Amino acid sequence: MKARTESPTIKELKFILTRIKKSPLSIIGIVVIAFFAAVALLCPILAPVPEGQEDPYVLTHFGWTSEPQPPSPEHLFGTAQWQYDIFYGCIWGTRTAFRIGIIVVAGNLIIGLIVGTLAGYYSGVIDELLMRLTDIIWAFPGLLLAMAFVSVMGPSLDSIVLALILVGWPSYARVIRSEILRVKQEDYVEAAKAIGCSDLRVITRHILINSIYPIIIMASLDTGAIVLSAAALSFLGLGPPTGYADWGQMISLSRGFIYKNAQDPLGYWFTWTYPGIFIFTFVLGWNLLGDAFRDILDPTLRRR
Amino acid sequence: MEKTIESRELLDVKDLYVNFYTYAGVVEAIDGVNLLLKQGETLGLVGETGCGKSVTSLSIIVLVPPPGVIEKGDILLQMEDRTINLLKQKDRALMKIRGEDISMVFQDPRGALNPVYTVTQQVGEALLLHRKEELCRRVLQELERDISEANTFKRFIYKCEKKIYEKMMNTRERSASLSALSKIPFVNRYQGRLRNEIRKEVVRLLKTMRIADPERVLDMYPHELSGGMAQRVVIAMALSCDPRLLLADEPTTNLDVTIQAQILLLIKELKEQMESTILYVTHDLGVVAEICDRVAVMYGGNVVEITDTFTIFKKPSHPYTQDLLEAIPRPGKEFKSIRGEVPGLINPPKGCRYHPRCSKAMPICALSKPQVTQIEKGHFVMCHLYKT
Repeated sequence: MKARTESPTIKELKFILTRIKKSPLSIIGIVVIAFFAAVALLCPILAPVPEGQEDPYVLTHFGWTSEPQPPSPEHLFGTAQWQYDIFYGCIWGTRTAFRIGIIVVAGNLIIGLIVGTLAGYYSGVIDELLMRLTDIIWAFPGLLLAMAFVSVMGPSLDSIVLALILVGWPSYARVIRSEILRVKQEDYVEAAKAIGCSDLRVITRHILINSIYPIIIMASLDTGAIVLSAAALSFLGLGPPTGYADWGQMISLSRGFIYKNAQDPLGYWFTWTYPGIFIFTFVLGWNLLGDAFRDILDPTLRRR
Repeated sequence: MEKTIESRELLDVKDLYVNFYTYAGVVEAIDGVNLLLKQGETLGLVGETGCGKSVTSLSIIVLVPPPGVIEKGDILLQMEDRTINLLKQKDRALMKIRGEDISMVFQDPRGALNPVYTVTQQVGEALLLHRKEELCRRVLQELERDISEANTFKRFIYKCEKKIYEKMMNTRERSASLSALSKIPFVNRYQGRLRNEIRKEVVRLLKTMRIADPERVLDMYPHELSGGMAQRVVIAMALSCDPRLLLADEPTTNLDVTIQAQILLLIKELKEQMESTILYVTHDLGVVAEICDRVAVMYGGNVVEITDTFTIFKKPSHPYTQDLLEAIPRPGKEFKSIRGEVPGLINPPKGCRYHPRCSKAMPICALSKPQVTQIEKGHFVMCHLYKT
């Protein structure tokens, strides 16, 4: 008897690694997200909380002049209106971005999975009810509906998160439902029932495991997009109170300073460039990571 | 085999009606089917595509897919001490019966295996669902042996394991504390023993399926198996809990002829070893001649003729059976097909469903549905030609 040298799990991991090695873009994506994760972890070291500041997420005023000051050794990225330190805001804003992205996507995933699974597996009346509910939410433009929710709940970071969850889950529910409708036709589902599996077991062990990949890819692509939407809401003034460490907020502060004057039109470039770069790279990173996930996970794309 | 055991009834399908509620209308897929399976026999269920063979077998395991509905009828299964009606059982009871008393082999072996699990995991699932107690008992025996040999420290660990396995053996349902325990890293190492026991059992099963080198196959995924191998694994899964009734839904249709012959031989041998009863669904009359004791011919949702295999080939009585046998292509003989085509079952022909295509149709055939008549002992025909 010759035992297998490696277990299937290790074989699979090796396959994933070779897959990642082959595409430079996915490496970039992973590096970018890893970079941001490191920044988020090292916030207190990279941008120490100034003395006298209680909440690290609430920016300190370094003066009350409304004119932004260009980068200097004290304020690496310069200061925004009312002398908020842009560097500090960008660094601590990374945590906010991760928090928004991950909580919203996790919320979407959970609601979408439950609704989509129930609708897809049990079809009939339950399907009709749940799917019409998702249609109702889909009938409104997402950002507008989110704005409406936020204005009802009062502007704050939490209401942005909640609003984006309420608006975002229908697309997940629909994707998971259609995947389940496809998978539940498969013979192995019937075979699983025929050996005496319960519904719960059939769903979790046989159906979901074969239909979850598109959702995982979607989730990682969405994390970036969610941060964009949150930034948009924040920019419109529906986010946390002024001075909160949030990239949308930082851009919002620079709204009046895009154009300086005729002699020096881009004099205030630092106010919007730095937060803009942070948002741009973060979203790009998640998109590349999503593509990497698709390359790795999507069984229709893999060729052995 | 003794006569008394052979003639005992195992399954009795009485007046089964199954309808499919589609957008186009109600499809009367099964229109009053009666079937009787005796213990230890192989009954062939033949008929052309869409005549309700598969639906009949799915009804027996009570898994008719929606929009199909079992309208009425009884499916009686003889248990050890009593007879139960499968259509009146609760879901939980059915789950226990499926796999343990009745199991099924599907047409497409690759489709019937979940692509993300290895062979051990798939076959093991059936074992875990129905034979957990037995496996735990074996683990406990092994532990008992280890405890007697171990030193103090190890003995303590083994005793803890013993407690866990005793609990596992005695809880039939899911237990929250056990499933929580299995999620804790390092502590869940205790599962290794059960896993080993499952592997041993799967190897044993695969050996009976005549799979060469079963240890190698254990960790393979379905896509790594050949068609014949996959079908052997599926059969292993179906037979893992020694079911008394095996529903084989065209298990050799998708395989090439040599593999088909091997699988047929395997089924035949296994049947003799395990003394189980087989309902063999097929459209291949050659296969029927090969392995079946009795044959039921289906047409348009009815069983039109049922008798032993020898009689069906020597003295077919229903016009449809006669035409079907005529339509087997033979060298040196002009090919004769049945005229017309299979009727749609949304608006099936009135009276006898075969009359529009029947060469011996009489006026009464279009008016009333014929009764089932016994023309010889054990030879039933549903046709107006044989009215008593």
